[in-house]
Amino acid sequence: MKRLNAAVHAPRCAMVVFIKEIREIFRDKRTVFGVVISPLLLTPGLLALTGSFLNGEIKRARTEVLQVGIVQPAGAEGTARALKATPNVRWTPVTAAEAERRVRERTLAAALVLPDRADALLVGDRSVPVRVVYDSGSDKSNGAFMRLRLAVEAAGQAVARLRLQQKGLTPDFAAPFSVVDGALKTGGGPGARMVAVLLPYMLALACFSSGVHAANDSVAGEKERGTLETLLASPATRSELVAGKFAAVTCVCLIGALLSIAGLLVPFFSGLKAFEWLVKGGLSVTPLTIVVVLVMQAPLAVLFSGLLLTLSTFARNQKEAQTYLGPLMMLILVPSMMSMFQGAEAPKSMALVPVLNASLIIKQALMQSYDIAFIGLALAASIAYAAAAMLVCARLFGRETVLLRT
Amino acid sequence: MIRTTGLSKSFVDPKRGVIEAVADVSVECRAGEVLGLLGPNGAGKTTLLRMVSTLLTPSAGTATVAGWDIRSAPSEVRARIGYLTGAAAPYDKLTPREMLAYFGALNGMSQPAVRTRTDELVERLDMASFADRRCERLSTGQRQRVNIARAVVHDPPVLLLDEPTAGLDVLAARTVMGFIRDGRSSGRAVLFSTHIMSEVETICDRVAVIHKGRVAAVGTTEELRGRTGRTAFEQVFLSLIGEEGPA
Repeated sequence: MKRLNAAVHAPRCAMVVFIKEIREIFRDKRTVFGVVISPLLLTPGLLALTGSFLNGEIKRARTEVLQVGIVQPAGAEGTARALKATPNVRWTPVTAAEAERRVRERTLAAALVLPDRADALLVGDRSVPVRVVYDSGSDKSNGAFMRLRLAVEAAGQAVARLRLQQKGLTPDFAAPFSVVDGALKTGGGPGARMVAVLLPYMLALACFSSGVHAANDSVAGEKERGTLETLLASPATRSELVAGKFAAVTCVCLIGALLSIAGLLVPFFSGLKAFEWLVKGGLSVTPLTIVVVLVMQAPLAVLFSGLLLTLSTFARNQKEAQTYLGPLMMLILVPSMMSMFQGAEAPKSMALVPVLNASLIIKQALMQSYDIAFIGLALAASIAYAAAAMLVCARLFGRETVLLRT
Repeated sequence: MIRTTGLSKSFVDPKRGVIEAVADVSVECRAGEVLGLLGPNGAGKTTLLRMVSTLLTPSAGTATVAGWDIRSAPSEVRARIGYLTGAAAPYDKLTPREMLAYFGALNGMSQPAVRTRTDELVERLDMASFADRRCERLSTGQRQRVNIARAVVHDPPVLLLDEPTAGLDVLAARTVMGFIRDGRSSGRAVLFSTHIMSEVETICDRVAVIHKGRVAAVGTTEELRGRTGRTAFEQVFLSLIGEEGPA
C-alpha cells in the first residue's frame, strides 16, 4: 500500500512542479517577450522591413540617374547617339584617360569607351567592341555596369533585327532554340526555398533560446534565491523535481519553436505587400510537412532542455550559468548554420550530427524530398542524444555537492 | 522527536584535502522543546541541519526524526519537517497563496486541505492584506511571514531553522521569534541554529554549542553558566569553545 501511494504521489509531484514552473515562466516578461512576442511580431516585422529595404534598393537601382562618361572618338557619332537613348543616364564626354581616373575617383559611376570608326563597323555588319569601365569594388558602379550592359545588348538586338530584316530573315533565324520554363510546384516557389534555408536555422535557434531563461531560472535561479534548499526539503524526491522542471523547460522550448514557425509563415498568409519578395511563387506545405517538422522538434527540445538544465544545475548562480551559455550557444549555432549551406540530399553520416540532422530533415520536408533512411537514422540519433542529455541532467541533480554549492 | 547519533560529514576539498564539517554529533531535541545550535560561522550548524533534513547524506552516524531514520526513510522524514533558512526567499512570481498551495501539494495535501490551512495561516500571520499579491512586491517582513507560513503549511511536528533571523530587521526578527515560541507551545520539536547570543538566551530551552564540527557542550543556559562560572552568555560561549580572551 505504501509503495502504491508513493507511485501515485511521484507523477503528481512532478506535475505540481511542472505547473508551478510554467506559471512562473510565463509571468516573466523576459520569457513572454522572447518566446511569444518576438517570434510572432518581431520575426514578421523584420522580414517586412527586409522586404521594404530590398524593394527600395531594387527600385533605386533601376531608376536612379547615373553619371556616366562616354569616350566618343571620330566616326562613332551614330553609335553614341543610339546608346545615349538609354533612360536615366546623364552622359559626360571624357577622354579615355579621364574615364579611368574619374571612375576611380567615383565622380563617374562608369564610362563607355567606343572604338574609332564604330559607325563604319556597324554599317559593315561587323561587331563593335564597347568597353565598359567600372569599379568592381563599388556597388553603385557595379549597378551602372549592369544597366549599361543591358542597354548595349538591347541596342545590339535592335541592330541585329534590322540586319536580319534587310536580308529578308525573321528574328528566329538567329535564335534556333528557345527555353520554356517548366518548373513544377512540388517544392514551392523561391519563397519556399527561402523558408527551407531559413526555417531549420531559425527553429533550432528559437527552440534553444526560448529555454535559456526558463532553465537558468529553474535551478541556478533557485540556488541564488535560496529557494532550492526549501524545495529539496519537501517530500518530493529529486527525480520528481527534475522531471517537473525538465518537462517545463522542454515545453517552453517547443512553444518557442512552434511560435517561430507561425511567425515565419505569417508572410505567406497575410497578403501584405511588404512580404511580396518572399512569398513570390507561394509555399507548398502538406500535412506530412507539418508532421515531420513537429516530430523533429520534440527530440530537439528535449536535447536543448537537458543541456540547458545541466548547465543551470552545475552553475552556482544565474550569472555563472550565463557564462557557460556562450560556448554552448556556439555548439548549437554552428550545426544549425551548416544546414543553411547543405542541400536537403545530405550524406547519411550527417544524420548522426545533432541539431544538423533535425535541421536537414526539416529542410527535406519543406522541399518535399524525403530520404526515409536518413530520417530514421536521424530520429534515432536525436532520441539517443536527448535521452543522454536527460540522464546527465538527472544524475547531476542528484549530486548534493553540485546542488547545494552557492 | 529528533535524535542524532554520531552524525558526521566530511568533504573533500581539492586544495585543503578532507574537511570534517561535522564530527560525531549526538544530540536530542524533544517535542515541545527549542534546542539552539550555537556556534560561530563555519562551525557546522548548517551542515548538521542539512543532514537532519536529508539534504546531505551523512558520512557516518544517523538521525531519526519523529521516529523515521534519515538514511532509510528520507521522504518520510521530509514530510515531517518544516525547514526555514534565513537565506531563503519566496518565489517572486507567485502570490503567498500560490506558494502555500505549491508546498502543500508537494507535501501530498489535498486541495481543500491546502485551502483551509492557507486561510488559517493567512489569518494567524496577519497576511490577508498581501496574500494575493505577488511576492516580488512584498516587504522583507511580509516575505519572511510568507516563508514561515510555507514552512508550516503541512503542520509538521518538527521545525528545522537555520539562522532564520539573518538579515532581518528588528520587527521581522520578532515575527520569527514569535513563530518559534508558537512552535514550542504547539508541541513541536524545534532545532534552531544561530550565532546570536541574545536569541539563545531568550528562546532556547537548551543549547548545544558547536565548534569546529563537534559538540562542545549541551545544557540549559543556566547549566552552561554554572559549568563555566561566567555570567555574560558571550563569555560562557567563548569559554566553552576555548577562545576565551582576557576578561
